[in-house]
Amino acid sequence: MLTTTERILFVLMALILGGLTAILFYGIYKIIRRGRPAPPRENVIPSLIGAAIDVLLQRPMFRSRPVLSVFHAFIFFGFSYYFLVNVTDVLEGFVPGFELIYGGQGPLEPLPDWPINLFNLIADILSVLTLLGMIVFLVRRFITHDKRLEFNEGVLLNPKVQQGWIRYDSLIVGVFILLHVGSRFLGQALRLAENGRPDPFMPFASAASFLFRGLSEGAFTFGIHLTWWLALGLILLFLPYFVRSKHIHLMVAPLNLGLGKPGPRGELDPATPPGSDDDAEPGAKYVQDLAWPRLMDAYACIMCNRCNDVCPAHSQGLVLSPAAVEVNKRWLFNEHFADFAYRGNLPDMPLTQHVISPEAVWACTTCYACVRVCPVGNEPMADIVDIRRRMIIEGEEMDSGIQTALESLAKNGNWFGKGSRARARWTKGLEFKVKDVTKEEAEYLWFVGDTASFDARVIPITQTVANVFQQAGVDFGILGRAERNSGNDVRRVGEEGLFEQLAEDNAAAFGKAQFKKIVTTDPHSLNALRNEYGPFVEENWEVLHYTNLLLELFESGKLSVSKPLSHYRVTYHDPCYLGRYNGEFSAPRKLLEILGVEFQEMPRNCENSYCCGAGGGQIWLGITPEGERPAENRIREALDALAPSSNGAAADDKQLLFVVTCPKDVIMYTDAVKTTGNEGKIEVRDMIQLVEEAISG
Amino acid sequence: MNIVVAIKHVPSTADELELNDDGTNLDFDEVDFVLNEFDEHAIEQAVLVKEAAGGEVTVVGVDVIEELDGVLHTALAKGADKAAKIVGDIEPPINSHTHARWLADAIGEMGPDLVLTGVQAVDDLDGQIGPMLAAHLDMPYVGVVTGVSASNGSVTVHKEYPGGVMAEFEVSLPAVIGVQAAEKPPRYAPISKIRQMAKSAEIEEIDADEDFEYEGCELRQMAKPVSAGHAEMLEGDAEEVAEKIIALLEDRGLL
Ligand code: SF4
Ligand code: SF4
Repeated sequence: MLTTTERILFVLMALILGGLTAILFYGIYKIIRRGRPAPPRENVIPSLIGAAIDVLLQRPMFRSRPVLSVFHAFIFFGFSYYFLVNVTDVLEGFVPGFELIYGGQGPLEPLPDWPINLFNLIADILSVLTLLGMIVFLVRRFITHDKRLEFNEGVLLNPKVQQGWIRYDSLIVGVFILLHVGSRFLGQALRLAENGRPDPFMPFASAASFLFRGLSEGAFTFGIHLTWWLALGLILLFLPYFVRSKHIHLMVAPLNLGLGKPGPRGELDPATPPGSDDDAEPGAKYVQDLAWPRLMDAYACIMCNRCNDVCPAHSQGLVLSPAAVEVNKRWLFNEHFADFAYRGNLPDMPLTQHVISPEAVWACTTCYACVRVCPVGNEPMADIVDIRRRMIIEGEEMDSGIQTALESLAKNGNWFGKGSRARARWTKGLEFKVKDVTKEEAEYLWFVGDTASFDARVIPITQTVANVFQQAGVDFGILGRAERNSGNDVRRVGEEGLFEQLAEDNAAAFGKAQFKKIVTTDPHSLNALRNEYGPFVEENWEVLHYTNLLLELFESGKLSVSKPLSHYRVTYHDPCYLGRYNGEFSAPRKLLEILGVEFQEMPRNCENSYCCGAGGGQIWLGITPEGERPAENRIREALDALAPSSNGAAADDKQLLFVVTCPKDVIMYTDAVKTTGNEGKIEVRDMIQLVEEAISG
Repeated sequence: MNIVVAIKHVPSTADELELNDDGTNLDFDEVDFVLNEFDEHAIEQAVLVKEAAGGEVTVVGVDVIEELDGVLHTALAKGADKAAKIVGDIEPPINSHTHARWLADAIGEMGPDLVLTGVQAVDDLDGQIGPMLAAHLDMPYVGVVTGVSASNGSVTVHKEYPGGVMAEFEVSLPAVIGVQAAEKPPRYAPISKIRQMAKSAEIEEIDADEDFEYEGCELRQMAKPVSAGHAEMLEGDAEEVAEKIIALLEDRGLL
């Protein structure tokens, strides 16, 4: 179909632009390799295959925004299919008489019709769906102005981003896709029109072909050539732009998903690269101090802001945006591409000035929601922790509350500023003596944790746990004054050295104690003990949450309900470090079922649970940031979920409860109920309080 | 500038304090020791002066319970350059005269331009170490200082008086300064740096002059205050509280 000149031109373009693109892609590879080593990726091939399947099924997309994800799937399938379509289109251009319409023309004629018809049918349908999807995306960005694509005021953004370059990039990509797919579709319609008869296997192109019937022969030739070039020449022209554009996600995202972090979610990557020598600085000051997967994240990011949607800090209106972390890194690479990729003279651009502001660094609760929701497998939270690590080691100024807590933790092993001898004082209120496992053997070591040991609001709950365990005949003991804070939040604040000290102290205490399993009410301790104590302890003890143990006790008949709690309508909040981090969703829900309460989920539950705002050291902050706090937002969500439905369901006089299974949640939500003025409407209860009520009725 | 910081290891009040059996002092086996809070400010101020004017910071203290190393490592991690401890057959309590004598002996050898110390310590509330050091070393003293800046040959110090009046002194060197608060809150010492110091730093040991004895005054008795009753919170709305107050007053025959 193409003239000789056109052919030569296309081949030349392919060679030159293809070559240029190859060099640029190599540049991206080099940039990613500038990052520090990460823990080795194991089973890479199976993991890449798994990622490919996930991508094909669009699974990571459907973690949020289901409707938009459908339109994305249209574009995804269309675009993927177009890899094949592009090949056949090139053949149409280069092989005389080669045409796909009517089951194959020219050299295709001898072949059976049905595979070609099927191919045509799919191409025809997907072309239309892709165009539809793309139009929806452009409309929501440029016409209905979806607010979720914006950033909070005060978020540190690369100047280019502030000037609107994400929008321009989206427009360029959008128009490219419309032209690429649209032209191909019109090209086929023109062919059908030229032949004067529709092809039943190309229903949409056939319908469009009626528009062009009656054009002159010259117009057909011109149109077919033009649409061919707009579909295929455009791709070549666009290739080098790919390297700058966020559209490159279509290649990097599957890789990024396949090369994702090995090991459990709750185990942070080490502060210095594995295998580095002793004087390697922990954490990151410059972008090249980050591990290579963090640099790859920047290339995988599609700038969808799904992570912002679920971020408690961003939702509160604070200056933290996990998306901006990726976006800014990416623009840094775009702006200094040659330096990073080829020259190796890396610009002196501290992350805290160019990627995320110190204020934002200290606003992260390490709730993992951004990582969980990101459809391309990015981990902005990991960048934040690494930046904290370096800030701490370099003595950068930090929030006074966090500093006070860390100093107390270093001195006393707890953040309450109390001496270690006071740790077991809560047991004084019990009618029996709690075993000291460093002196007496017990089946369960109960790791109590700071909040449950020291906070006056939580101590009665801790005592109730002890009473219920005792009543059920659980053989348990505590470490008493030998227990230290687990270090979970210390590590997430970035104080790696203090975490190690605390873990070593606890490990030494475990070494002296005799027990079989560990149980705790505190999800933060659970996370550290379960996932991060490997290097410190000899033995790999099973670490249970008290909800697991309670469930066991009910199932084995050691506890039983004597008074079902049907007078309560309750909802349940999944603590980040229990649920999202450690996958413990079912025990609390089964318990509630056993207790006989009326249970109602909140819209954000299980994996999508919304952080209470206390994690990652936020509970220590000396200042209270402006805006609706995450816990307040959550209480409102709970009240909505528990409200008798407006469509006629009878209002009853059941008492509404907000059930928690984390000592910090007791504090955060009791407070939030007060500050939102909902006292009397809803009450915060720890699971153990319900258990106690039900078994002693 | 050669800056020396004199510090003191004092009983921690994080725990409830236990008294010894004859009620003459704390039960020192049952208390943890920490760095005196004002001395933390003295260290911070010394490091700030060094950062601004150059020089070297040496931290020195009496090793009362043989656990001073941790404190010294922390000071080194915060930016001090050298550390020394005064050792010997020492048992708490050490009174401030003895403390000052030993510190002065050690510091005199160091040839300091500037000596900083906390304005007082929580264990005796004497506030005497600074003035006595100055007397022993024959140097001028200014206490209750909230900021020190150095210029050639002298330092400028700030002091806050009650009633919101600020004073600025120029003190010729060498001098002893009693620090109430550093210009900035004491910085955080990352544990990994402290641990590095613990591995690599050398702490000079200076022998205490154990023959020195001070017999000016003696601590006769130490006891916890007997609570003189407790406050009762009146609960309820304004009306109810008012009624309760009236009832109380009537009850006591005051109305
Ligand atoms: S990090 Fe992930 S969720 Fe956030 S904007 Fe980028 S692609 Fe979207
Ligand atoms: S971990 Fe949570 S708080 Fe931190 S950036 Fe991600 S979503 Fe926001």
